[in-house]
Order: sequence, then structure tokens, then C-alpha cells
Amino acid sequence: MALTQNGNRLPPRPGEAIDRSHAVSFTYNGRGIRAFAGDTVASALYASGVTILSRSFKYHRPRGLLCAAGRCPNCLVTVDGVPNVRACTTPVREGMAVRSQNAWPSVDTDALNVIDKFDFAMPVGFYYKTFHQPKLMWHIAQPIIRRLGGLGAVDITADPESHYHHDNRHADVAVAGGGPAGLSAAIAAASAGAKVVLVDDQPSLGGHLRFDPSRHADVPGLKAGKGPELAAQLTEAVRASSRIQVIAGTVFGVYQDNLVAVLTRDSVIKLRAKRLIVATGSNEVPHVFENNDLPGVMLSTAAVRLAYLYGVKPGRKAVVACGDDYGYRAALALQGAGVKIAAVVDARGGFPASMSEAQALRDSGVRVLNGYVVIRAEGPKHLSAVSLCHLREGVPLTEELRLDCDLLATSGAFEPAAGLLHQSGGRFAFDEALGEMLPSDLPRGVLVTGEVTGIRDLRANILQGRVAGLDAASSFHVLSYEVRQDLARLRHDLAEALAAYRAHTTRSSPIADMPGKKRFVCFCEDVTVKDVAQAVDEGFADIQSLKRYSTVTMGPCQGKMCHRSFVHLCAAKTGQSVQKTGSTTLRPPLAPVPLGALAGHLHTPIKRTPVDKRSRDMGARMTDLGPWRRAHVFSNPEEEALAIRQRVGIIDVTSLGKLDVRGKDCGALLDKVYTNKMSDLQAGRIRYGLMCADSGTILDDGTVSRLALDHFFVTTTTGNVEAIEEWVRWWTAGTNMCAHVNNVTAAYAAINLAGPKARDTLRKLTDMDISADSFKYMRFGQGHVAGVPAILLRIGFVGETGWEIHFPAEYGEHVWDALLNAGEEFGIIPCGLEAQRILRLEKKHIIVNQDTDSVTTPLEADMEWAVKFDKEDFVGRGGIRAVKERGIRNKVVGFVMRDGLVPEDGDPVVMGGSPIGRVTSSRFSPALRKGVGIAYVPADYAEEGRELLISINGRTEPATVTLKPFYDPEGERLRA
Amino acid sequence: MMQLFRKDRMWTPRPLKSRYDVVIIGAGVHGLATAYYLTKLGITDIAVLDKSYIGAGASARSTAILRANYITAEGIPFFRESLKLYETLSQDLDFNLMFDQMGRLDLGHTDSAVYGLRVRAEFNQMLGVDSSIIGPDEIKDLVPAINLRTGQTLPIMAALYHPPAGTIRHDAVVWAYGRGADHGGAQIHPFTEVTGFLRDGNRVTGVQTPVGPIHAGTVLSATAGWSSTIAAMLGIKIPIVTHPLQAMVTEPLKPFIDKTLSSANLHVYVYQTDRGEVVIGGGVDPYPSYSHRSTLHQMQDLAAHVLEMLPCLREVKVMRQWTGLCDMSPDYAPIMGPLDGIEGFYMTAGWGTWGFKAGPIGGKSMAEFIVTGKTPDLIKHFGLDRFRTGRLVNERAAAPAAAIH
Repeated sequence: MALTQNGNRLPPRPGEAIDRSHAVSFTYNGRGIRAFAGDTVASALYASGVTILSRSFKYHRPRGLLCAAGRCPNCLVTVDGVPNVRACTTPVREGMAVRSQNAWPSVDTDALNVIDKFDFAMPVGFYYKTFHQPKLMWHIAQPIIRRLGGLGAVDITADPESHYHHDNRHADVAVAGGGPAGLSAAIAAASAGAKVVLVDDQPSLGGHLRFDPSRHADVPGLKAGKGPELAAQLTEAVRASSRIQVIAGTVFGVYQDNLVAVLTRDSVIKLRAKRLIVATGSNEVPHVFENNDLPGVMLSTAAVRLAYLYGVKPGRKAVVACGDDYGYRAALALQGAGVKIAAVVDARGGFPASMSEAQALRDSGVRVLNGYVVIRAEGPKHLSAVSLCHLREGVPLTEELRLDCDLLATSGAFEPAAGLLHQSGGRFAFDEALGEMLPSDLPRGVLVTGEVTGIRDLRANILQGRVAGLDAASSFHVLSYEVRQDLARLRHDLAEALAAYRAHTTRSSPIADMPGKKRFVCFCEDVTVKDVAQAVDEGFADIQSLKRYSTVTMGPCQGKMCHRSFVHLCAAKTGQSVQKTGSTTLRPPLAPVPLGALAGHLHTPIKRTPVDKRSRDMGARMTDLGPWRRAHVFSNPEEEALAIRQRVGIIDVTSLGKLDVRGKDCGALLDKVYTNKMSDLQAGRIRYGLMCADSGTILDDGTVSRLALDHFFVTTTTGNVEAIEEWVRWWTAGTNMCAHVNNVTAAYAAINLAGPKARDTLRKLTDMDISADSFKYMRFGQGHVAGVPAILLRIGFVGETGWEIHFPAEYGEHVWDALLNAGEEFGIIPCGLEAQRILRLEKKHIIVNQDTDSVTTPLEADMEWAVKFDKEDFVGRGGIRAVKERGIRNKVVGFVMRDGLVPEDGDPVVMGGSPIGRVTSSRFSPALRKGVGIAYVPADYAEEGRELLISINGRTEPATVTLKPFYDPEGERLRA
Repeated sequence: MMQLFRKDRMWTPRPLKSRYDVVIIGAGVHGLATAYYLTKLGITDIAVLDKSYIGAGASARSTAILRANYITAEGIPFFRESLKLYETLSQDLDFNLMFDQMGRLDLGHTDSAVYGLRVRAEFNQMLGVDSSIIGPDEIKDLVPAINLRTGQTLPIMAALYHPPAGTIRHDAVVWAYGRGADHGGAQIHPFTEVTGFLRDGNRVTGVQTPVGPIHAGTVLSATAGWSSTIAAMLGIKIPIVTHPLQAMVTEPLKPFIDKTLSSANLHVYVYQTDRGEVVIGGGVDPYPSYSHRSTLHQMQDLAAHVLEMLPCLREVKVMRQWTGLCDMSPDYAPIMGPLDGIEGFYMTAGWGTWGFKAGPIGGKSMAEFIVTGKTPDLIKHFGLDRFRTGRLVNERAAAPAAAIH
């Protein structure tokens, strides 16, 4: 494959980010591109002559490199199938496949660009004003609009392994930003003894110094040199400090209590610091004039980055437009890189004679036009000329000048990158002299330094950094005398530097009313000055409404390119001050963060019982029950149920919640949280327990066994144990009772052995006296089963003679096997959850949350017998009593179908065609050979023998209400 | 088409008067819809006050999913009527609200979740709402990008499919109601905070604002997350607890999913807007708060949960997250009508996570209530007195996560 040559490369230069000895090739839309290690996708493409990188969202206008800093939407491409990747910050990798997005047939000639010609029909919010009359119109238009929306495409078959993880870091001081101020702050804080974590999102430290070719002589604490040399000195000092840890990543959010969120290539780090120093610098933002989005128009920092970091010539002939001193520096830098400077266009009327760079430029013969602004960029797909006009007292006069050029570097419009400060709750005030909203009031624990304060002066920024670093350290360390002296000196120098900076700084204010069409405020959504003005005229006269109507700041740049112009424009159009106009909300994340990084490794823990493998080996189909895997069916649920009714069976009930409650007040505690009385339970006995919320609604049920005067063993439903543990502990603390609650769910396995032959089976495995006379129903015993120490609860959820055997989980398979062996002669089989559900339903035992809902009290559940109003106050008493006084509306009843019909869980109970209740559980009863179930119905239906109508598959079928258990209503079998 | 080139004002700032027939606190969907329907019923001397911009608060932060597949015999007809109004609202208000009836799937991953969905399907069908249970194959056909989680925990066993559900441009709804109300004679006063009430014994006679008192024949509070603080100004404690609810949105993608998906077990819901962004939300935060500050924890949780359903989104980037406030009632049903013993005052509250869905019918019902003084049939179960009589609506029922969008 023929590789495109690096046609636009400049000669090598010290400090550049690329390694020319190391070639890398990749493909762009199938075409081979040659690059160097250290290149970004965008720098390599630009070097190969690719200037159109994308098409705009709405008009499909060609867009080229704009910010070269990962902020704007212009270079979004698809890389190896991942959509919306910023080419300008993505390092090249051998063999990577880069494709352009949202254009057909290609970004160079996009047929949809025709939309650009119909912009007159697409004013701001046009979609609100059309396509809806008649209604059918929207059904036709909407799918088309939907297809036009979106940028990159996602491959829905992709299911990549996650390479992301989560991490936590702690520091005394966190510094966001590795530019001169951030580095100085980190060094100073560390020198005063603080443990520092510094986060920077660039390939190397130093911020804008990395591509600043001017020589700086008067920088405190640093040897004179060019930007990269100063960056190297600062970097060396950081590396030399054992107290500074550098993370290559992006701070994307500051959350409550200084929780700093960092995105790295492969992780999200939660960084907690006592102090956060925000040194995030400033974002250069576009100028607003006609065709300001034309490829070839870029931010001055982008042009300089291309030249100095990547050795790429940004253009042959450049015009630099500015409104402050920085433009002259940028022009000089570009000139130094071999770009011919056609002119420097400065909106300010006067030439900055005191500035050496400006002088040098003028001396070299560069034309400087003071009091001019660019009003139009010209060229079909790439810049070929700019038109300028003269300003008089800030008002544009008629067009005067046209300059040929293929690069327009715009400069002098910066916005403090203050997103973290906004998020942390900082307040801002408009600084008239500097023309920017600057931080005025910061929350505790947050400090700010560098260009984000609106001061763009290296000497001042470095002093600011040192002061901030020492201030941060001093807030939790006692500084030594020397350091305090040092700090005082720094403060003094800083005050002088700031005063000097303010004294000689002039900046032109943004000009709102320039002539021309297609002046883009928002590049992401193609919103023009005209659109914003019209939106204000339509009544969207505050920044928040204006944002939502015009969609400015809501695109992929997240406001980084448009916010400043937008606020100033809104202020101008509404006639309000910038201060009063305020700001849109800068929400987290400040940089786009992949969902995979936020998610980290996906863990879905499964809880398996000790006989999980045994069950599966025996053919069990498993199901989820809360967090647990449970055997659902072994062979056939009805056969399994009949086995327990007629012979004997075992069910693995390990997932039942188990709490061990001890302490001298444990009886009183259980009296408090259960509706029935537990403190009078005799040791060795078991009682069913019902637990309610304050409102009287049922929370949970289970069994309470008293092992000793000060020791209870409590079971809960499978899904609820954590919540109930918390609930009981909460009441323990709230009542100041002496009781200790331990969740022993996973410590014990539990097997329910039940059926007429259960006693014969168990007898073979234990020395305990388990005869009907000595081991009665609702008693428990402690002893050995198959040599394993166990607690045996004689209870009857399934309605037969049986024991719930709890024993150390380690012996799960042993006891399971022993029971099956012992029961073999009686025809024992393992039974699943479904058989248990059938059996309990035949006994009309409710399952909390299945047969009850969030407003069911024990009265609706027909369980008033489990509520003891005559004991001390208990949780839920007031609620239940109130319900009792006013009467219940609904009630849980049993029903029997006339024949073999079985409703499904959830079928409605109806009257006159309207639903009046629902079936909560229903199964075919193998014992009764009929469909039986539980329903939640109006209370007046709770009469023995009353007819209910149930809607099954749209047909109304009769059922008969019964209030007693369907099977063995007197409970003779389970007592046997 | 010609209206494209008209530059009609949506609303016009007018001087605040010292008296109105009706003062509505809160210029969100409920407040403005009520104002609009009041003007339709002939009451035009109305001021809608808001402490912030028009549509701020819960309306601005809503993820705007509309549906009627609720669970109770009281709730379903109410939301059904709201959906019906929404279906012709673009035409009625002459503003394209971009209602996309894309359909919605509520996923069931466990037996008990499927049971809850079945109850809803059965009740929905009986009460005239199109929803039914579908199996994994049909789910995959409707949403090819979905991971059915076969062989994993919480596999997708079934879904409640509700075809008329959809999404709408939520700000547009607010603006269009605002415009309708304004053009009908009502006044909208953003950035005018109510700080107290004017009282004459048990009668509310107006509101207090930083720019002076405003007298009113009737005052309606439609303040969602701040409802309990408004009630507190009247010395009344209502059973409303405000919880934060967070959501987030990704960068725009080409269309890859055209249903709204919701999973109560995975605590997440997701859909793609016409602009291509993927909107992801979940349940309310478990703690009460009035803070609009989002949390990292919730963003991480939502990301993890959405990837379990849609693993193809792993490298897709989140662009912003935000937080709204939800006025949660104990039974997850609204509270609409007068407060005990106070005359001249109505409240529409308890809108939790379902308020936007009820905007049109909520506004229409409250307008009717205010004009006639009688409780409209459709909302007769939603009075505050139900917490005394115990006649809770129980929209929270059976499926604890029924409340997840």
C-alpha cells in the first residue's frame, strides 16, 4: 500500500513531541497514512494534507482542525470501531483504522452539505415550528430527522472485554493541571511536607510552555530559557520530589467533599485530597465572524501546537487575528516555524510598543493592522482569503481589506477553564478590566492558581502557583519559619506582578454586532449569532432558557468552545450585564468519559449454596432468588411435591436469611421489631415472626427460635436479610438495648427434610430423640446429624412432618448425601424451589412481597393472630391499630378453581368487567388435583365459599374463596 | 410551513399586578398546563410565578418518558388520559413537541419481576392501555443491540411491551403550554420567588414575594420537589419526602435503538433521542435531599448497569450528568387538591418520578378543580385525606421498582 508522505513536516526541532526515528502507519478511510510515534491522529492527518476532518451536525459543512487540544467537535472520528474519538488527542498506533463520520459519500464531498443552502428554512428551533401539522407529517418526517441526527455509529454486535478498572488515591494536596502554575504549586506544597498528587492530561508536563518558543528571563526560581526548557526544569523538580505523584489523566469532576474524579487511559480514579488546587489554565475559544468554521481557520494555540509539538506546518501563509498581546507571540512563533505571516490583525487601536515580540515582528517586516477585525473567511472548502474591516470605537466600518492566506490563526479570546470551580460550588464575578468571569469566592478546601484566574503572565502564574502550594500545605501543616518568610516574600512579589500585569494589559472586548451570515457561536450544533438573537427575540431571554432553545453549549464540546461567546451575546441581546447574565451550568463530567471506564470491571456476584454443584450434577435447573442461585426443579415439580406429601424429600433452603441475636435485652429487642411476643418464648421453642414497618405494612417474616435466655436464632426471607439485619441493628441502636445481631446466613447451610418418612430417614443419622412425643412441632433441638453439629427446627412451611436442619456450610454436600442415602429406602428425592412453592401454597402460607405488597398490613394478610397489641410498644403498632380502627379495604384470601384450570400469577380478579383485585400466587395442586391460589381482593370477598371471578387469558372463570389451608386444614400431618 | 418565518414571541413580559384571580406557584409543566387549561375554561386573570426560569426545576430535568402502563386501577386511567392528551398536544398547541411513540420495554429478570409485569399487563389491558408480555426472542427482534444475559444472573426472561409509550421534547412541552397560557391571557413571571403566604384566618389570600405581596382569589402550588417547603409555609406537614434523581446523556450516535428500555432489577432505563444522544437514568437516590449536585457514585452505577444490557456502549462517552428533585409520596401516587382546613389554596404534588407523564391531565384536572370547586372523577383518589382514611393508591405495589421510570 502506498503511504501518503509527510508532506507538511517542518525540520526537526528540540522539544518536539514526535520521535522521527520511529515510524507508525495507520489507515484513514482505507488510505495508508505515515506518521511518527508521538503524533496524534490529527497531526498525522494534517501532515498528510488532510484538512477536512468532519462534517458539521446540522448543515454538514466541512470542518477542520480547530483547537488541537481535545475540546472542540471538529475532529471526531471513528477509531477501530469506536465512534466519536477526538483525533487531535488520540496518539497514533500502528495499524489503527481511522474513519470519518456522519458524511456521505465522504467528508470531502458530502452530499448532505446541500442542507447548508437551505439554512433560511432552518432558523433556530425550526423543528418546533414545523412537521407537526397535520399529525401524519411528523410520522413521515421524524424517522428522517432521526437518521440525520447522531455523529458516529456504534457496532451493536460489539461486546469488548473491559480493560477499565477502578482505583482510589489519597493525598494531602491534589493539583489539577500540569502547566507552569500547577507544577509550581505541586513543588511548593511538597517542599512544605505535603503529599501531592498532580493530574495532567497531556503527554508531557509543562502546559503551554511545551510549545512556547519565546525566551523567558525573569522567571522566579527558574533559569532563563525558552518555554520547553522551563517546562523541563519544572518537570525535573517534580520528578525529583518523592512526595509528588503524577497521574496522566483528566480531572472530570469535583464532587461533594472534594472527591476528585480522574479518568486515565484505563481507569477511573477516586482521588480524595484535603486540598484541591485548580490549575486548569484557560481555553482559547473561536472568534465569531462569517464562515468562522472554515477549515484553515484555527485557534492560534492549535497552529502553534502543530508546529512546535508535532513539527507540522499549519499553513503556508497566515493571518493572525487577535485582541490582546498573545497574538503577537503566536505570530512570532509561527514565523519562527517557517510560516509566512501575511499580517497581524489586532482589534485594539494602538500598537503594543512596549512588547518586544510585537516590535520584533514589525521589524521583520510583518504588516500589523491595528483597529481591524476579521469579518469573513473565504474559500469553498479551505481558507483562501480573509476580509477585514476597520473598527472605530468598537464599531465596524465598511469592509476595507482582503488578504490572501491559507491559515487564519485567531487569538486573544480565552476563557478560564473553570469547570471544576463551578462544580465545587465556587462563585464568579465579572472582571471589567480583563473582560472575564473570574472566581471570586471558593468553597473550603479549594484553591485556584494560574491562567484560570484570568492572569496570563508566566511570572505571575508561577508565583501564584508557589503561593497556592504553600497555602494548601499550611492549612494542615505548621510551616517552618523559613518557609513562612518565603511565603511572605512570594506574596509580596505576586502582588507586584499582578499589579504590573493589570497595569499594562488591554484586551479588546468581544464585538457583538458585526455584519455577515453564518457566524457560528456553537460549532457542535451549527448555531449562529442570528439564531441566538432570534431566540432572544422569541422570548428566551435568560441564559438557561436560551441554552435549551438554541442548544448552544449542549453539544460534544460541552460548552468549551461556545460558552464565552454565548454569554456575551446573550448579555448584548438582552441588554443585561455579563454578571447578571450569569452562566450555564457546567455539569460533570468536564471531559467525555467512556461508560466502560465509569463501570470498571462488571461484577455480578452470585451466591451459591454449598450444595449448588451437587444439585446441578443431579440435573437441577437453577434459578435466581434474590442474589442466590437456587435449584428450581430437579425432575418434575408436581412429582417432587407428591414425594414430600407421600414419602420424603429434601429441599436446599440455605438461602434463607439467618441472624444470630444475643444479649441480655435480645428478647425485648425482638418484641420491639416483631409484631408478636418473643420475650416469653421458652428456651427450646420456636415461634413464627412477622415484622412490620412503622406504617404497619409487612416487611418480612420468618421463624424465631430461643436457644437460651439471651440467645435467639432468627430466620428471614431470602431476599431481605441484609435489609432486616440493618433494620434490627438500627432499632438496637435506637432503643439502646443490649443486643448483638450477627448475620450468619452464609455460615450455615440449611436443608429442609420433610414428608411422612422424614422421621425414619433422620433417625438413621442422629442420636437425638426425635420421636413425635419428645421432639414436638415448633420446637428445636441441637445435636448431630450425620456426625455434623446441627440445629434442627421442627417447623412446617411445606405442611408435613419435617425438620429444617441448619449446620456449618462446609458440610453441605456431606449432609445432603447422607440424607439422600438414608432416605433411599423410603423413596427420598431432592426437590426444588417450585415444589416448595406448590407445597406452601397448598398450606396457604404467604410469601412476603409475592402475596403482600408495599401497603399490606397483617390485617389484610389475615394474620392478626400474629399481632399482640397487649405487649409493649412495637414497630408498626400505631399503623396496624389505625388500619384496624378504620377497617381494611382488601384482604388476602385463598381460592379453589372449579376444575383443572390454573390462573397465572398476576391475573386480575374482576367484577363487571373491571379489575378489583389480583391473583398473587396460583398453582395446580397435585394433592387436591385442582387449581388453587391466593388472591388479593376487596375485603368483603373474604367469606368462606364466596365466588370470585378471575380473568384468565381474557375469559372470566369462577373460583371459590376459602379462608383455611387447602391441604390438611387442621395441621394434623405436620404435628405428626 | 410559513410559521417558520414568523417570529412570534412565545410570551411577553408584563408588569406584575397586585392582584390576580389565580396565582400559580411554579412555571413547570404542571403549573403552566393548569394555567393554559384555566384560560380555556374562561379564567384568564392568572399569574404563574417561578423562582427561576420558565420550566426550571423538575420539568427541565425530566428525561421525558411518557407511558401509561401503571399498576393500579386508579393510576392507569389517569396516565392513560394524559398519554391521550400528549398524542395530539403538538397539534393542539401548534408547537412540534417531537413526541416519538417509540414503544417501551420493561424488562423482567426474575420470576417475581415477571409476576409484577404480568399484573401490569393484565390491568393495563382491562383498562384500555396497550401493553402485553413478550418473550426474549421478540425482545431481541425489537432491540437487536440488547444482551439477553442468557446464562448470566438476571437473564432477561420477559418484558412488558407498551407500544404507545414514548419520549417527548420536555422543554418544548413547557414552552408550548407557556405560550398557550400567555396567548390566552395569563401572565408568566419567571425569577419571582414566593417567600410566604398572605392569610386571612384559614384562608390564603395571596402570596408574598421579594417584589411585594400579590393577592389572589385562589393559589395553586405546583412546585414538585419544593412542595413540602411550600406546605411548611402554611404550617402544614405533608407526607412528601424530596429525593434526588439523577440521569446522564452520552455523545450523539447514529440511531441504534428505537425503544425505551427499563429494568427494575438492573436499576436503569435508557433510550436514544432524535439527536442521537443516549439518555440513561435510574431510580431515585435512597437519601432525602434538596441538592442538585450529582454524584460520581450514581454515574458509575448507571454506567455499569446500562452496559449489562447494552454492552456495545462500552466505549461511548458520557457528556453530562444532572440531578432533579422528586417529591416522593408514600404510595407513589400524586396528591392533588386542597390541604386540610386551608381555603383558597390547592396543591398538586407527589409527582416523584412520574410527574412529567401526568403534565397535561394533571393541569387539566387542576384547572377543572379550581373552576368548579369539585374534585374531578379522574383524580378523586388522589386527595391528601387518603393518608388519614387509609385509602392509599399503592402505585408502589407488588413490584417495588414499579417506580423506576
